[in-house]
Amino acid sequence: MRFLALLLFGLSPALHAADVLHLYNWNNYISDATVARFEQSCRCRLVQDYYSDNEEMLAKLAAGASGYDLIVPTGNAVESLIKSQQLRPLDKTRLPNLKNIDPAYLDTAFDPGNRYSVPYAYTITLIGYNAEKLRELNLPTDTWAVIFEPKYLVKLKGRVTVLDSQRELMAAALKYLGYSVNDTDEAHWRRARDLILRAKPYWAAFNASSYIKELTVGNIWLAHGYSSDMFQAQQDAKQAGRPFTISYATPKEGAVLALDSMVLHKSGPRPDLAHRFIDFMLEGRNSAELTNLVGSGNPNRAALPYIDPAIAANQAVFPPPAVQRRLEMLRDLDRTQRRVLSRMWTEIKVR
Amino acid sequence: MRKNSLWLWAAALAAYAFLYLPLLIVVLYSFNDSRLNAEWVGFTLNWYIELFNDTDMLVAARNSLLIAMAASLMATVLGTLAGLAIHRYKLRFLPVLAITPVAMPEILLGVSLLLFFNMVFRPWLGLELGMWSVIVAHITFCIGFVTIVVRGSLLGMDESIFEAARDLGATPWQTFRLVTFPLILPAVMAGALMSFALSLDDFVITFFTAGVGVSTLPLEIYSMIKIAVTPEVNAVSTLLMLLTLGMIVLASRIHGKAFQSTAP
Repeated sequence: MRFLALLLFGLSPALHAADVLHLYNWNNYISDATVARFEQSCRCRLVQDYYSDNEEMLAKLAAGASGYDLIVPTGNAVESLIKSQQLRPLDKTRLPNLKNIDPAYLDTAFDPGNRYSVPYAYTITLIGYNAEKLRELNLPTDTWAVIFEPKYLVKLKGRVTVLDSQRELMAAALKYLGYSVNDTDEAHWRRARDLILRAKPYWAAFNASSYIKELTVGNIWLAHGYSSDMFQAQQDAKQAGRPFTISYATPKEGAVLALDSMVLHKSGPRPDLAHRFIDFMLEGRNSAELTNLVGSGNPNRAALPYIDPAIAANQAVFPPPAVQRRLEMLRDLDRTQRRVLSRMWTEIKVR
Repeated sequence: MRKNSLWLWAAALAAYAFLYLPLLIVVLYSFNDSRLNAEWVGFTLNWYIELFNDTDMLVAARNSLLIAMAASLMATVLGTLAGLAIHRYKLRFLPVLAITPVAMPEILLGVSLLLFFNMVFRPWLGLELGMWSVIVAHITFCIGFVTIVVRGSLLGMDESIFEAARDLGATPWQTFRLVTFPLILPAVMAGALMSFALSLDDFVITFFTAGVGVSTLPLEIYSMIKIAVTPEVNAVSTLLMLLTLGMIVLASRIHGKAFQSTAP
C-alpha cells in the first residue's frame, strides 16, 4: 500500500534528499521514463510543480514565490520574465547539446541570441477534424477557408468550434486574409472581424477547453485548436474504439506557433543541476520521449530517429520547411492595441 | 398523505437530487472503462489501480489531507475560543479581526499572505514557503467560519444554565467542561467539518502560498485540466467522499448528539 506508506512517512520526501532540482512545468509535460533516467544520471531528485496557464505562473512569481530552478514558459512569457529581470543568463559552455536545436527555433524575437532560453517543445494552432465526416462531405482540410467560408460551413453548421481566444482567432482570420498574425493595422483587423462575424452563425461555440472531448465523442466535426490537444483527441478516439478517426493539419496559409522554452529562475538554488537538466533534455532521445507522450512539435533535430514513425510523419507535428516558413509566433500587443482588439472581440461576441 | 406534505416531499426530493446526483455521477464514472467521461462503456477498477500507482496524485492527496487536518484542528480550537470570548466580553475589535477573512476575496488574501510570508518569515526567520505556509493561510480563513458558528450557537442559549452551574459550586473550568462545551459541541463539530472541507478544496489561497514541491489535490487537478481530466480524478474524488463520510459517521458515533439541533 503505497498510499499508506506515503501517508505515514515524512512530511515531504524532498526534505530527505540533498540534491533536488525544482522544475515549474506544465502538467504531463515530461515523460516518467525521462525523469527516472535524469534522476539516475545526476543522482538527484526532480521535483515538479505545475501550472496550467502562463499568466498563473507569472502571477505567482510576481508576488514573490521563489525556489524554482527551472521554468518552461511559452513565447511572450519568457519576454516578460526577462524584462522583469527574473531570469539567470545561461552558461552555454555547459550546454554542448544546444547544437541539436534547429536554428529556425533559435534567436527568437522574445529572446534574441538565446541569452536566457532554450527551446523545449512547441504547439501549432491548427484545425482538427473528423476525417470520415469531412471526406464524406467532400471538404478541404488544409485551409482556414473551411472554418471561415460560408460555402463550406453550410455543410458543417453547428459542428464547428473555434478557440475562445482573441489573439488566436484573430490570428487565424488574419492569416486567411494573407496578413501576418502580428499585423496591427486596424483596417486589417476590421476585415478579420467581418470575416469572423460572417462565419459565426455557423459555429457551434467558442470553446477553449472541451473540444478534445467533443471531437472524440463525435459531436463536433471540426475544431480550431492546439496541435497537442488534437493529438490527445486522436489518441482518445483510437483507444475508445470510435468508428471514426481524428486528424489534424496545418492550414496552408500558415498558423500560430507557440514555443515553450526552458529558462533558469534567479531564485533557483541549483543552477548547476538546472544546466545539467537542460543539456539532458537536449539529447535526442529524451526530447523525443516528450513528443511521443504528448504529440508536441519538436525543435530538436537529433530527436527524429527516436520518434514514433506515425507521429514523425504528421506534418502538423513536424512541419516541412515550406510550412515552417509560414508559422509565426504571437508578439505582445501594446495597451492601445489591446484595447482596440478587446472592443472588436466584444462586438464579435455580442452580435 | 395530505397534499401539503406531498409537495414538501417532492421539493425535498428535488433538492436532494440536485445536491447528490452530480456526486453520484462522479462516483459512477470512476468505474467507467473509458477515459472520455462521456458515456458508459463498462465496469473497471483500472482508474483506482492507476491512481494507486500515480505518485504525484498520491503525494498531493496526502498533502491535502495533512493540511486539512492540521488547519481544521487549529482553526477549530482558535475559532471556538474566539467565539466564546466574543460572546462573553462583548469585544469590539475581535469580531472584526476574526471574521474579516471570511468576507475577504480569496485572491486578495492569497496574494497578501504570500507577500507577508516573503517580507516577514523569509528574511527574519529564514523560513522558506512550504507546507507550513499553506497551513497557516488555511487556519487564517477557517477561524472566521468556526467563530461565526460557535458564537451563533451561544447566542441562542439561556445564560441561566451557566449561572446555575456556578451557583452549584462548579469552577469556571468545570462549567466549561461539563456544561458549556457539551452544549456548543454540535457547533464546534460543524465548524471543524466546514474548515476541513474548505481547506481541502481551496485553490486560490493554496496556489499563492504553497512552497516549491508542495502540491495539493486542487492544484494537481487544476493543472490537469489543460490535458483533459481522466477518470482517475473521479477515483480520487470518490475516495475523498468516502473519507469525509467516514469522518461524519465517526464523529456522530463519538458524540451521538453532535449533529442534532440543541434547541430545547
